[in-house]
Amino acid sequence: MTSQERVLAALQRQPVDRTPVCNPTSVATVELMDLVDAPFPQANREPELMARLAATGYTELGFDSIMPVFSIIQESSALGCRIQWEQKDNWPTVRMAEPIWKNLDDIDIPSDLLTHQDTSCVLEAISILRREYGDEVAIIGKTMGPWSLAYHCFGVEAFLLMSLDDPDQTKRILDKLKSITVDFGLAQIEAGADALTLPDHATGDLVSGEYYQRYLRDLHIEFAERITCPIILHICGRTIDRMEYIAQTGMAAFHFDSKNRPDESMDVVGERISLVGNINNPETLFSKDEEAVAEEVVKNLDAGVQLVAPECAIPLQTSIENLRAIPRTVRDWHRAKN
Amino acid sequence: MTPISDIGTRIELVPMDGHFHDITVALYRQATAAGAGLLVHTYSNLDGAAERIDAIVDAMAVLAELADLPGTARRVHFPCGEDHDLAVRRAFLEACKFEPSEPLATAPLTIRDRKSGLTIEVDGLGEGQYRVRASGDDPEQQGPRRVGVIVNGLLKLGQMRRVSVAASATDVVTEDCVAFACGCSHDALVGLLLQRAPNVRAIVREQEAMAARGTLSAPSAQS
Repeated sequence: MTSQERVLAALQRQPVDRTPVCNPTSVATVELMDLVDAPFPQANREPELMARLAATGYTELGFDSIMPVFSIIQESSALGCRIQWEQKDNWPTVRMAEPIWKNLDDIDIPSDLLTHQDTSCVLEAISILRREYGDEVAIIGKTMGPWSLAYHCFGVEAFLLMSLDDPDQTKRILDKLKSITVDFGLAQIEAGADALTLPDHATGDLVSGEYYQRYLRDLHIEFAERITCPIILHICGRTIDRMEYIAQTGMAAFHFDSKNRPDESMDVVGERISLVGNINNPETLFSKDEEAVAEEVVKNLDAGVQLVAPECAIPLQTSIENLRAIPRTVRDWHRAKN
Repeated sequence: MTPISDIGTRIELVPMDGHFHDITVALYRQATAAGAGLLVHTYSNLDGAAERIDAIVDAMAVLAELADLPGTARRVHFPCGEDHDLAVRRAFLEACKFEPSEPLATAPLTIRDRKSGLTIEVDGLGEGQYRVRASGDDPEQQGPRRVGVIVNGLLKLGQMRRVSVAASATDVVTEDCVAFACGCSHDALVGLLLQRAPNVRAIVREQEAMAARGTLSAPSAQS
């Protein structure tokens, strides 16, 4: 199987020759930036640099996928949020202390949403990668969900308070923002993406499983119906309490955090949705050695997790050796099994 | 493009080298036929990057008295054969910070303690042992406390240990003597660590801040 075939089959829970190593979120590091002369923040804004840096996940690390959308701010920048672009060694972030909207009526989706520098950069980077790598590797795009977009545009605290005080307005806001998720997603598919990561940060620390069911499950079902490629839902944190609802959405996969054990997560979702994950970032990939990385990879493989991946965007200072230990361990595990 | 090859275990990283185009520079520990060696490496292909790496190795060699590992290309080691892991990482970080236009020289075994105004001196006692003492006008009797602070700093930065000094009549553990486990003298390294020993908390804060940079938080965890 090619890497692309392997990833797409695993996303549909079909047989694979070995478990694919996937990155629904970024595997960019400062050393890889040097290797291909594509540093942050430029690699988030210039399509050639974005494509070049993203390709290293496949060419240098040995992953089965390429994911060029390193950050979570591309659409928010196009919406008018203020962005802290930072330097090579840090992530661009939205200045959420300076929200651009306060209520439903303020929402104004610009007509240039898909031609803005920071969204068109993603589309062009995907086109470049598709041209360069053809069908040998899975190209994964990213379109942010409405809950995450609402955090960026309204501010985390304000939006969460609104969700308590005014559920109706909250639902109407999410409903209005969903077109951004769909339109940007479809544009990436047209540009050549095989699958899309859909981060929607109803994270375990701030939002309950019941909240997910009330506000997001039906929206996510709608995304699965309207977006014409496999979707990998990404939510950080302890999410075991909402995995049942997530499994009902019809999405292809759930990218899960290391706060959830692989075996307990598999028990909840069964065969209804693939799981992608869940190598711990701060404690394992960033701070420990290849042996510790391998242990976590094996836990996922033993549990039957369909695609092995870091749990989230990896820290930019992560060592190349630890990242390369992921595909090596997967290969070794399958070799030993066969 | 520089190919990625197995170059050992990365033990320290400077994500942006302020003295050369913000390239990323890392320190690797490598197993070689001649023993464990230290490799300073960058993946940058910029013109001058290799020379910058050479300059950092040169600075480490002087600042911490590292020697070339025989039979290897620009791998260095401590002649005592020990890793001195924390100390060598500090030496690497200091070498990367070192202003290239300044002349390279080992740090003296004495500093002016800014908190007390006292002079702190470290005397080599042989066999890797050092005694810390304070001198100067000390109306507030700060000397013993400041010596204790410096000793703690050396213990933490250099993975040194407290020792009892044989010259002492009772052979009790003293509060002012430290030693490297290898039993060898490392005067340059102690001089280097001494510069930072008065304020280890600042070093720890700097390390924590560096480690936190580049880690993406969920929007709910961002400010």
